[in-house]
This record gives sequence, C-alpha cells and structure tokens, in this order.
Amino acid sequence: MKIKNGFVLRKVGGESVVVPVGAMSKEFHGMINLNETGALLWNFYTEDHTVEDGVAALLAEYDVEEEIARRDVENFCKVITENGFAE
Amino acid sequence: MIYDIAGLRILIQNRCKYTEMFCKAYLSDDQTSPYDISATVTNEEFYEEKKASSQFSDGYIENICLYRAICRQMPVLNRMLLHAAVLEYEGNGYAFLGRSGTGKSTHTGLWLKHLEGSKIVNGDKPILQSTEQGFIAYGTPWMGKEGLGCNSSAPLKGLCFLEQAKENSITRLTPAEAASRIFVQILFPEDEKNAARTLELTDKLVTETPAYLLKCNISKEAVKTSFEAMTGKPYSPKN
Repeated sequence: MKIKNGFVLRKVGGESVVVPVGAMSKEFHGMINLNETGALLWNFYTEDHTVEDGVAALLAEYDVEEEIARRDVENFCKVITENGFAE
Repeated sequence: MIYDIAGLRILIQNRCKYTEMFCKAYLSDDQTSPYDISATVTNEEFYEEKKASSQFSDGYIENICLYRAICRQMPVLNRMLLHAAVLEYEGNGYAFLGRSGTGKSTHTGLWLKHLEGSKIVNGDKPILQSTEQGFIAYGTPWMGKEGLGCNSSAPLKGLCFLEQAKENSITRLTPAEAASRIFVQILFPEDEKNAARTLELTDKLVTETPAYLLKCNISKEAVKTSFEAMTGKPYSPKN
C-alpha cells in the first residue's frame, strides 16, 4: 500500500494531524487525527510497502507482540483504503 | 495600490472601487518600494464566491476573495488568519474564539463596557504574526459584519474559547485541547508550503499562548472570570 501524495503531517500541540493540500484539498475536506502509531505508519506508507513491512516497522519501534502489531497495521491500511487515501 | 497590513507591504490589485474605500486607513505612504505579497482575484474564484454569496455586490465579493488571496500567502511569512475577536487592554491582546453564535461579540462587548481603556483590535478576522517574543495580533481592514476594530496591534497574551453556560467558570486548556478547538477557526491554504507552515504556526500558537475555556453567561461576573484568569490581575472596575 502507498498513501497518495497531497497530504502534510505535522504535530500540533503534541498531537499528529494530517491536512490535504493541492488537488487533494478539493477532493477531501477535513483533517485527520493520528495517534503515535498512526503517525509512524502514515510516514512509513508515504512510500509503497506491504503489510509485513509495516509490521516490521512497528516492531522495530515498539515493544509489542507481533500479533498486535499486525492487527494495528491491518486496521490502519483498511481505514486508509476505505477513505480513498491509498493509491 | 500598496497597503501596510500586519507589518507587510501588500499590493492589492482590485477591479471594484469597494476595496479602495474599504482599505483606505491602511494605504501605504510608500507606493514605490517592493511589496511582500500581491493579491488579485481570478474570474473562477470570483464567480465561485458569487454563487455562494449572490445577495452581495460584486465589490463586496471581490473584497472577500482578496482577503483570502492575501491570507493564504501569509504563513510562509510567519503570519496566519485567525477567526477570533481580539481585544487590547493595557497594551496586551486577548483573543476570544467560538463558533458563530456562541457570543464572541457579546462577551467582548462586556469587556468594553466594564473595563475602561479596553478596545477592539479586530472583531472577527485578525492576523497573527509569530515572533521570537510570541504572537502579535494585528487589526486589518477585514473585521467582520460589525466592522469593529482599528489599525493597531498588540502582543497576544491569551486565547479564550467561549461556551454559553448559566454559571461562569474558566479552565486552562492543554495545547492539545486548544489545538482541537482552534482548527475550525483557521484558514488552510491549499499549497503545500503554506499549509504545512499553517500547522507549524498553529503548533507554536497553542504551545506559546495560554489557552482557556470560558463557560459564561452575559454579566459583569463573566468579564471578571475571563479577565482575572487571562491577565492574572484582580478585577476592580471603576463604576
């Protein structure tokens, strides 16, 4: 999966938010709030990676069980795809 | 013509006379030196706005579009538009925010009535500049339907989000809480640099400026509540 171009992610008041820019701002009006894991995965999937890659990226950063990491990544990819943010 | 707005030289290229009258108090004495921002309105933008605001004159519509054209170029120059009413009292600026109808103008009206020497810098659409000493709020020609404000500026010392309530109370908000409330009061430019910069400026704003949630009714006590929290001084009105 790869997240489409046309978004910027920044931390505001300690929380990660994403806003659409350029042509994307015409398609999608609003703002995306991400938790810490979400922000890590968002940055990771701005380049094309598989679910397995994402699981490995989470495991490298956090001390969590693989099963939980996989569930988080699958959820993340599902939400991104359902909202039309994936290429 | 070139205007001095929010510490910048802004070239406004208008077609309708309305904007010249509207911005008169901000006309620059120096029409020849370089400018920082140039603003013009495309036909496409004009007609899109006209669809949304068909009851207004062409001059008014062009004027709204011009402010948007100016404000979306400002973030890279460390400035941003905030939908808020900014008051000045004893040299310091205080911003009041809330969705339309929550009583921004009512509450700021109470400050004017009960705090001698307070004045409105901009009643609706001030520009904020980020500096090393914190944010500065500027008056601009654009100040909402009521047209309250003046060509002045004040260092911003507090952000006060308003909610209507029977009893008056005020609580300090964390930067994250302030951020989640402030996003709807901000203009997000479409180009990437300015959009990213808007987020960065918003982060600075909620991190550097104390923010409060004021639950208030319409009374002198409501003024006491917001005044004491934001200034740290006791409220002692002269009757």
